[in-house]
Amino acid sequence: MISMKQLILVIPVLVFFSPVSGSYDDKRCKCVCPRPAALNSTIGSDRTLYIGNVPPNKCNCDGIILPRVGELIKGREQEFCPQCECIYENRNTTIIQVVVIIVVWVIMLLVAYMGFLICLDPLINKRAKASYQEHTNEDDEGTLGGPSQQMGARGNVLNRVTHQQDKWKRQVREQRRNIYDRHTMLN
Amino acid sequence: MERFPLKATKMAATYQSVYKKGTSQGNGHGDPSGEDDMVNINTGSQRAADTPTTPTSHGTFQLYEHGTRYSDASATWDAVMFSGLPGEADDIPGIGQYEDFHTIDWQRDIARDRMRHRYIVKKRQDSIWDLIKGAHDAWSGWVCVLLVGICTGVVAGVIDIGASWMTDLKFGICPQAFWFNREQCCWSNDEITFDRENCSEWLTWPQVFGESRDGPGAYIISYLFYIVWALTFAALSASLVRMFAPYACGSGIPEIKTILSGFIIRGYLGKWTLIIKSVGLILSVSSGLSLGKEGPMVHIACCLGNILSYLFPKYGRNEAKKREILSAAAAAGVSVAFGAPIGGVLFSLEEVSYYFPLKTLWRSFFCALIAAFILRSINPFGNEHLVLFYVEYNKPWKFFELIPFVGLGIIGGCIATIFIKANIYWCRYRKYSKLGQYPVMEVLVITLVTAIIAYPNPYTRMNTSQLIYLLFNQCGISNTPLCDYKRNFTDLNTIENAVAGDGVYRAMWLLTLALILKLVMTVFTFGIKVPCGLFIPSLALGAIPGRIVGIGVEQLANKYPKSWLFSGECSSDDDCITPGLYAMVGAAAVLGGVTRMTVSLVVIMFELTGGVRYIVPLMAAAMASKWVGDALGKQGIYDAHIALNGYPFLDSKDEFQHTSLAADVMQPKRNETLSVITQDSMTVDDVETLLKETEHNGYPVVVSKESQYLVGFVLRRDLNLAIANARRTIEGITGQSVVIFAVGGGPTLASPTGPPPLPLARILDLAPITVTDQTPMETVVDMFRKLGLRQTLVTHNGRLLGVITKKDVLRHVKQMDNEDPNSVLFN
Repeated sequence: MISMKQLILVIPVLVFFSPVSGSYDDKRCKCVCPRPAALNSTIGSDRTLYIGNVPPNKCNCDGIILPRVGELIKGREQEFCPQCECIYENRNTTIIQVVVIIVVWVIMLLVAYMGFLICLDPLINKRAKASYQEHTNEDDEGTLGGPSQQMGARGNVLNRVTHQQDKWKRQVREQRRNIYDRHTMLN
Repeated sequence: MERFPLKATKMAATYQSVYKKGTSQGNGHGDPSGEDDMVNINTGSQRAADTPTTPTSHGTFQLYEHGTRYSDASATWDAVMFSGLPGEADDIPGIGQYEDFHTIDWQRDIARDRMRHRYIVKKRQDSIWDLIKGAHDAWSGWVCVLLVGICTGVVAGVIDIGASWMTDLKFGICPQAFWFNREQCCWSNDEITFDRENCSEWLTWPQVFGESRDGPGAYIISYLFYIVWALTFAALSASLVRMFAPYACGSGIPEIKTILSGFIIRGYLGKWTLIIKSVGLILSVSSGLSLGKEGPMVHIACCLGNILSYLFPKYGRNEAKKREILSAAAAAGVSVAFGAPIGGVLFSLEEVSYYFPLKTLWRSFFCALIAAFILRSINPFGNEHLVLFYVEYNKPWKFFELIPFVGLGIIGGCIATIFIKANIYWCRYRKYSKLGQYPVMEVLVITLVTAIIAYPNPYTRMNTSQLIYLLFNQCGISNTPLCDYKRNFTDLNTIENAVAGDGVYRAMWLLTLALILKLVMTVFTFGIKVPCGLFIPSLALGAIPGRIVGIGVEQLANKYPKSWLFSGECSSDDDCITPGLYAMVGAAAVLGGVTRMTVSLVVIMFELTGGVRYIVPLMAAAMASKWVGDALGKQGIYDAHIALNGYPFLDSKDEFQHTSLAADVMQPKRNETLSVITQDSMTVDDVETLLKETEHNGYPVVVSKESQYLVGFVLRRDLNLAIANARRTIEGITGQSVVIFAVGGGPTLASPTGPPPLPLARILDLAPITVTDQTPMETVVDMFRKLGLRQTLVTHNGRLLGVITKKDVLRHVKQMDNEDPNSVLFN
């Protein structure tokens, strides 16, 4: 648990400063071949990878493998090449980076908010309990009658946010009751 | 209804005049002098003897005769058409919405939309602005599904990338760029071999802590890290779900099915459910639990559909129309989950949707296309495909292989039945026992057990999608233990001597163990309180035996190439059996057995393989598995879960075979009185007392209490809203105001001394569907299914007797099937 929290906290900070090494290209041609030495044995169990950055139309034995191991298999290209499988692949590192960082941040935000709701919110609510009932009534009317009340702009926004939050909390409480207590749904 | 096109503006006038024709002669608004042709007849003699519950035992009926009312047929039609459709009544907020856990009235909602549409068409000639508004209205459906498709594609891309990264986080990390998973980390590094899929950039956890890569110490550290990460992810997922959106747990498909059949579950397709389901799905998939992301993806897509439909009032404010968008969204969900757009459309049609007109079919098609296109451009797996386990076959299959394929179908049906029975048993146990009180604990225990058992076996340790990919794949040049054949690679043209090596046999043992583990764990996993789907586990459950059978057949063909079975078609040098194809057929069989899909399943599977050549094997297996499944157990997993939860879902597949009559089912039963509202004699206080004392969701409106002559139907919610609204907006409304439902009766009819009357004709549904009390329930159930009714009124000799609601029908069906009728979830 601790290690994860540390990692999640530290890593996003590091990311924006750490330089990404140049080896992360967005394209590659990946070829899987037997080892050149296996040409002479009967059981070719060992494989090697050849990865290169070439245009898609060059992603084949001639483009990737022969320049590297041409010496070893000289004269036996016709035998060696058909045993290789070459795939051209591409990706977008930026999208991956952005998505993963967003996911990590969203999880952290949610965990933080959850911590807030568990630890701090009861304390705050205890204080505001008196005015709570009043809020709901008033705002129920507000949803029906439209934006008629004139209040201070700040107070209005704050009230509305609080009201929305209360409404949401009520809904979640209801959902929890349905699922975890009464077991009427989603069993 | 379309036979009577009407200009919307003329409606009010036509309406009044018709009504006056009908009423002015017969009854003068509660004036008994007009009811001179009231007839008292006693019809009790005919049926009272054989069916004592028929309403005839009530005794006397009072009948009316209104000759003129029926003579003007077409005008009456017009009145009926627009009755109760609050075309202009949007000024009362909330009309046309529904309460939580209610069913919607399809007819009413669709009629409301048609009304609104006519109004817009009419207005279009008035000004340029109205023309633009009309154009916007016309294309808003397409724009909405376009947005749904785009968002679904993006969210699916995020989930795919996030889950694949987080899954690999259990094994190690890429220190140079932590956001890469192992595959991406080793992108341009060609030092990895197939024995150790690690490159120098990728650090496993032992390496992070300075240990060596191999050895017992490293194994233990890896094991521990695997368990700790799995527990962390699962705990996070379960607590997020519990804290923010409990509705985000489970697969969601049974609930989506119920919602699409016309049920309201508030918050089930909301913002928080969307966020928590997406995040929780990433976490729970990464935790290595035996679950998949495909089912929840449908739920996520439907959440998006619901949220985006609010941008277009045409869909957001009309529950029946909204379901068209949701159907399209469900198609997009499957489209991105499997990379199968057409399969998604068919899935929506076959499995989840209830009301699926052609227009929705085209929109679903478009939506699925857009979603697949967006996901494809995000390219989450870097393989140019939308799923991890995309494979491409090109070998033909032989005719005799149909026998093992059908055999796989039978095996799949058996596995599926075992799974469904065990899972439903366990879920029922969870529902009624103390276990249900510890949802988070349950998730943690199951994760712990899964992680501990899964890690030692490489086939369960890896991501289930990867396992499926491995099983589907045909043995090419790559060298996994599954492909450890004693092949001669020196001469490429002959790979006929494919004798399985030791690796294959060991892999088969491990796979058998994996099958047992997956089966057991999935039974316990499906239904825990984290987002979890079962497509992937059931595909794996089928792919494992499929591969094993495939290897068996392959070895047979290899050993006895001259036997009569193989000699004809396997005599060539090529290896003629593809075990990967068997894995795919087996996977289709189990999935088909679990979900009872047929057409969409086959299409999804062949879209996965990118070849139409294997349709016949897949069809044979899917059909065999469905037959076996139907023979061994009645329901698919989704229907079984719907039944377990008691969702009010009227399955159009089942037939109602009992001989009961509408009179047996309707409310009120004998000795109870039917709560009705009179059209123009009750005061606001009377109505409010009625609302307080009874809990019905709607009230029939009758001419008068004595006559019980039906006028229309009004919903409780509408009544509440309209009275509250009137108290605010109309001056002088008091408890003594008379509530007027009659359309012609305006303020002129009010007594000059009393408070002003409250006209509520707008919220009255003047065209309620009625049946007679002798209508067989088969017909009534059919009406409920096909018309999507919410309630129907029962009359006898034209006099109102009672109401049958969907709840009554569902309870009756349950009762007839000897199940507990009180288990139906309803408000």
